[in-house]
Amino acid sequence: MTSWLLEALPLAEVEIRERTSDTLPCQANSESFFCFDWAKDNLDKYETPTLQHLKLVLLAVLIGFAIAFTLAVVAHRRRWLQPPLLAATGVLYTIPSVAFFFLLLPFTGRGVDTAVIALTAFNLQIIYRNTTVGLANVPAAVKDAARGMGQTDRQVLWRVELPLAMPEIIAGLRIATVSTVAIASLATLAGGGGLGRPIFQFGIDFKTNVLIAGGIMIAMALVFDWLLIIGQRMLTPWERAAPA
Amino acid sequence: MPTRKAIEGEKPAEHAASAVRYEAATKRYSGSGAPAVDDLTLEAPAGEICVLVGPSGCGKTTAMRMVNRTVEMTSGDILIGERSVRDRNAAQLRREIGYVIQQIGLFPHRTISQNIGAVPQLLGWDKERARARSAELLALIGLDPELGDRYPAQLSGGQQQRVGVARALAADPLVMLMDEPFGAIDPINRERLQNEFLRLQAEIRKTVLFVTHDIDEAIKMGDRIAVMREGGKVAQYATPAELLMDPADEFVEDFVGSDRALKRLALMRVSDIDLWEAPIAHIGQASGEVRAKLDGAEVAYPLLVDSERRPLGWLSERDLEGANVPAQPDSPLGPVLDRDDVVRDALADILQAGAQYAAVTDRDGRIDGVLSVEIISEFLGSPAAKVEEYGAAERPLSGETVDD
Repeated sequence: MTSWLLEALPLAEVEIRERTSDTLPCQANSESFFCFDWAKDNLDKYETPTLQHLKLVLLAVLIGFAIAFTLAVVAHRRRWLQPPLLAATGVLYTIPSVAFFFLLLPFTGRGVDTAVIALTAFNLQIIYRNTTVGLANVPAAVKDAARGMGQTDRQVLWRVELPLAMPEIIAGLRIATVSTVAIASLATLAGGGGLGRPIFQFGIDFKTNVLIAGGIMIAMALVFDWLLIIGQRMLTPWERAAPA
Repeated sequence: MPTRKAIEGEKPAEHAASAVRYEAATKRYSGSGAPAVDDLTLEAPAGEICVLVGPSGCGKTTAMRMVNRTVEMTSGDILIGERSVRDRNAAQLRREIGYVIQQIGLFPHRTISQNIGAVPQLLGWDKERARARSAELLALIGLDPELGDRYPAQLSGGQQQRVGVARALAADPLVMLMDEPFGAIDPINRERLQNEFLRLQAEIRKTVLFVTHDIDEAIKMGDRIAVMREGGKVAQYATPAELLMDPADEFVEDFVGSDRALKRLALMRVSDIDLWEAPIAHIGQASGEVRAKLDGAEVAYPLLVDSERRPLGWLSERDLEGANVPAQPDSPLGPVLDRDDVVRDALADILQAGAQYAAVTDRDGRIDGVLSVEIISEFLGSPAAKVEEYGAAERPLSGETVDD
């Protein structure tokens, strides 16, 4: 067995052992649902993990978008690239993130990089597939008219196809972002921090802790989703034009 | 304002149009034996509508698309004016050619004004000039300028197709390609759009290559018609009247239909035919005088007119038994035709009334002559029938009454 694997195996244990030793009465009492006193005293301890979480999500989605979007655009004119790209991103999508962390350890070690790479890989399929579908759904007549009036291939792509694919592309970004917010809670296993860290640190069986961290993640997911919906509305005004 | 001056100064001539000449143009798709378009040679003269018509799979759309190189020909050449399309950069060539397709293909994400301004934008016109041109074209196609800020989905199908035509005209193209442009529109609106386009064409005089599978549309829209048959060959290239009077072979004869005589009549006005002279009678005139007029006349009964020579009715034998012509004729007037009526509609009126002939009046309602079923059938058999010919834009528009 190689040394990196030996190093990797006890990862989770290490995290759990870091747990704080000082326990409040209600923390010990598993009956109580939410411990307000503890929450009041410890809320500031979630600040750094929240910012880390935010950073992980933004990096993973932006890098994932840059790669997947480029691949989709490249494969749009080279149809033969589409099946292999779909298969490749599909494989990355199905690898469980935790397994991916372990696979990456010998190359990138523990840290934000490893976490971002795994989260990005997970995103590729969603964004790639949605961009491809969006481009494929552009009506043939519109493309024919665009070419027939003298738009170059590049102009057809940037002025017609991509704007019309926007709803699907943004739909992909929304799924990718919300999923990443959830999955980034595992980044702590790769040493990437995020809201998974307090969850393990303060106890996965401590409801108050899990509720706070979970609540922050849900709020984060909702805010991202809302921002993307606003963005889509601004970018696709024609979608909302009242029909005749 | 300097910009304003620039706009007027650069305004293109409204009548720019070039002939399109196919020279043995051939398209062969790889993997299929027979060519889609086979050795096509024909000239669409500048400023005329040339219709490519034929059954599905005859290569008419392929032939049209070779002009703007959305289909690349395998051999031969196509000249626009004197320039070969082969020597041109495809995108630049297309910006000089208006393109209208059946599915319209407006940009759903652009407003109507932006759609119309699409080609000017590609040509690098400044915004001001493109906007002015959009407004001008909206007016030309009879759309409310307020619609300029709408999106295509907010317009009816007919309005969208008008915008499609306006978009194709925006940069004053030398040639227009129209691929079944009215094919997806309901029959009533199609007729309206056809008529509108013909009126527009009377003004703008573009060279138009018009593809359709509908022979009636071809006859209505075409100055010249190329009837194509499977295998991408032209069976006959002729004016509508020639095609209807003198089909080159059985295929063309079948394609134009057994009612081609009636179709021919739809291309003419009553004034194009030599009418019979009506034996005219005035109120109170001596019956003997009137009887004398009937001698050798083609119409068996005299027509009673008022002092303005407006027809009142037909006189019977009994009406003439008295010494003078009575004020009330025995037989009703029946249908009254106008000199500007389409002959087919006039014939329908006569037959509808169960008559053999009818009075024809001029614009002021004065008697001009008599049109009979007999005249029409004789006319169709005479060589004159082939000579009478209007350009598509001057033709009477069937489906519309003259007095509107």
